[in-house]
Amino acid sequence: MESSILESIGVEIIGVMSPVSICMFLVVLLVYSLSASNPFSPASVGTIRTAANLVYAENPSDSASQKLEGALLNALVFVILIAIVTFLLVLLYYYNFTNFLKNYMRFSAFFVLGTMGGSIFLTVIQKFSIPVDSVTCFLLLFNFTVVGVLSMFSGGIPILLRQTYMVCLGIIVAAWFTKLPEWTTWVLLVALAVYDLVAVLTPGGPLKLLVDLASTRDEELPALVYEARPTVARTGNRGASSLGLLVAGVSDSSSIELQAVSRDNVNRNENTGRSNADYSAVTLGDFQNEEAHIDRDDGERSPLVGHARERHSSSSDSSQYSTVVSPSRQDQQFNGRDHEIAGDETSPLVEMMEMGNEGRQTRVGDVEIADRGIKLGLGDFVFYSVLVGRAAMYDLMTVYACYLAIISGLGCTLILLSVCRRALPALPISIALGVIFYFLTRLLMEPFIVGAASNLMMF
Amino acid sequence: MTVAAGIGYALLALGPSLSLFVSVISKKPFLILTVLSSTLVWLISLIVLSGVWRGFLPLKTTIWWPFGILILTSVAFQEGLRVLFWKVYKRLEDILDAFADRVSKPHLSLTDKMQIALAGGLGHGMAHAVFFCLSLLTPAFGPATYFSDRCSQIPFFLLSAIIALAFVTIHTFSMVIAFNGYAEGNKVDQYSVPIVHLAAGMVTLINLAPGGCIVGIPLLYFIAMLTLFHCGKMAWRRLTENQSR
Repeated sequence: MESSILESIGVEIIGVMSPVSICMFLVVLLVYSLSASNPFSPASVGTIRTAANLVYAENPSDSASQKLEGALLNALVFVILIAIVTFLLVLLYYYNFTNFLKNYMRFSAFFVLGTMGGSIFLTVIQKFSIPVDSVTCFLLLFNFTVVGVLSMFSGGIPILLRQTYMVCLGIIVAAWFTKLPEWTTWVLLVALAVYDLVAVLTPGGPLKLLVDLASTRDEELPALVYEARPTVARTGNRGASSLGLLVAGVSDSSSIELQAVSRDNVNRNENTGRSNADYSAVTLGDFQNEEAHIDRDDGERSPLVGHARERHSSSSDSSQYSTVVSPSRQDQQFNGRDHEIAGDETSPLVEMMEMGNEGRQTRVGDVEIADRGIKLGLGDFVFYSVLVGRAAMYDLMTVYACYLAIISGLGCTLILLSVCRRALPALPISIALGVIFYFLTRLLMEPFIVGAASNLMMF
Repeated sequence: MTVAAGIGYALLALGPSLSLFVSVISKKPFLILTVLSSTLVWLISLIVLSGVWRGFLPLKTTIWWPFGILILTSVAFQEGLRVLFWKVYKRLEDILDAFADRVSKPHLSLTDKMQIALAGGLGHGMAHAVFFCLSLLTPAFGPATYFSDRCSQIPFFLLSAIIALAFVTIHTFSMVIAFNGYAEGNKVDQYSVPIVHLAAGMVTLINLAPGGCIVGIPLLYFIAMLTLFHCGKMAWRRLTENQSR
């Protein structure tokens, strides 16, 4: 007697949504606690100079049209920069400069964690007057950073740690982005959503090129990508409730990482002998690359019912957990490219990836169907959190509205994914909904709610 | 200390639903999705309502009937939405059953259905608490508190948390009652839910009168207890019937 349907449906979606929620929640908390420190000090906002506000530094005293114009310019420049960097990346990838890309990625992760993370830690320390001396602080920061880089780009690290660091990275970048002036942030978010749409869907879009390239080579993407894996939803299997998200990384060439996520997964990859089903362990093999990961799962999977919320892929006992044998090349996730669809019902694989290269700037996100798991780019994490963080500077009400909007947008994207079965941009729907809900809430709902609730009227 | 107070208010309003969420909902991904979508539905209903009422705001606090109309329209709209929610759920249930056949799992049991209803109600309730109580709570984390003129004995934040708790209870369990009523075709349950909702809304009108909260809140809690009790009784009856069969 098990109510297995309720438990098995939606595992993948929740696996993606929970880390996104955690990331957003922490960013909101951070923004809240830090911005409360000196709300009126102009130094707290808008003074940083990044690629996102190269052209125009917003001044609160400027007129609306001036701000809009400047924000548009900023966004344009920023998007162009991203596009250039992405094309560069595609080019490098095309000519197989994978070592360079890999090291670059490591460097940027180190840089982000060390400097941006460091400055955020400093602010937190100042804000809460934590008594810590500089040497200790430096040591702690250094350790944090090194462990972070190692855990993101090498194997043999507990999955949970890796996930944590990925979320940390998202939080740090997002917290940094929330320091941008208000108008620029909004225009930038919209511009990025549009860019995402174009880059993933149009034939010559850089991300599409990249995805296609990676899939023809049967490699993982050179990017920072989260992969959500379904946890086993069996009755009596309690431990599997942790987020089925993990980020697989391969340290360097010729190492293969096998990850079995949940403990009693039935690893049915028939991939030739390599995948010793090593449950709940991460093993590092050392295989001379060239082997694309193969994962075939032929468990039964849920049908992609194109119905709302219905399409969550994993049926309970399927073996989408399973090993990942990553080829040596890139540092990240392989994407389950080979659509080996066994059986008639297969779960869509959603994969959104992102290239979180280039410090805080470039991101790209898209969702892609492969045949197991859902992948979400780190950039999507970042920009969802930026939106929510920006909303947090106004009110809690807008935060909650934006959160719901983004999550439902993510849900819509996943549903679309099961229909389209190809890589999809994860930003546009969520960002559009988020922005709409933000302004609706701010302009319409707030006076209504405050008017009613401050008179203790409720319904 | 003030942070503690703020968290305390928040937990007062949302604590029970939080424990419900952790103990029942969070283990089943589908229920989490139900909670989220029902929260979204409630948010959308609120936005639509506020869009309609935007032109008439702010209402004068000296006369009570505009508030009465406001609550009446809001409740009517939300109850209409509840029927819609039921229709959608009905179709979803068929799909779920069809899916269960395909993966050779048992169909939705009675408890499953009740849990879905509970999740839907919890979504409504949590949305209510978040928007009506939690979103106003930001100043409570600061170094002061706020007293409303009409109920000067109790801090405003505490009041709104207490009221929100009652509404969370009502919303959560009236959804279970309503779904059961629809499923069984039980007219009494079907009609009692909107009436209870409306009554609860109207009871808050008493708060407009000076010192009214002393009367209003106990009345509100009476309604909440009634809902809870009725829901418990009904769930018990259906479960025992189901077992004996």
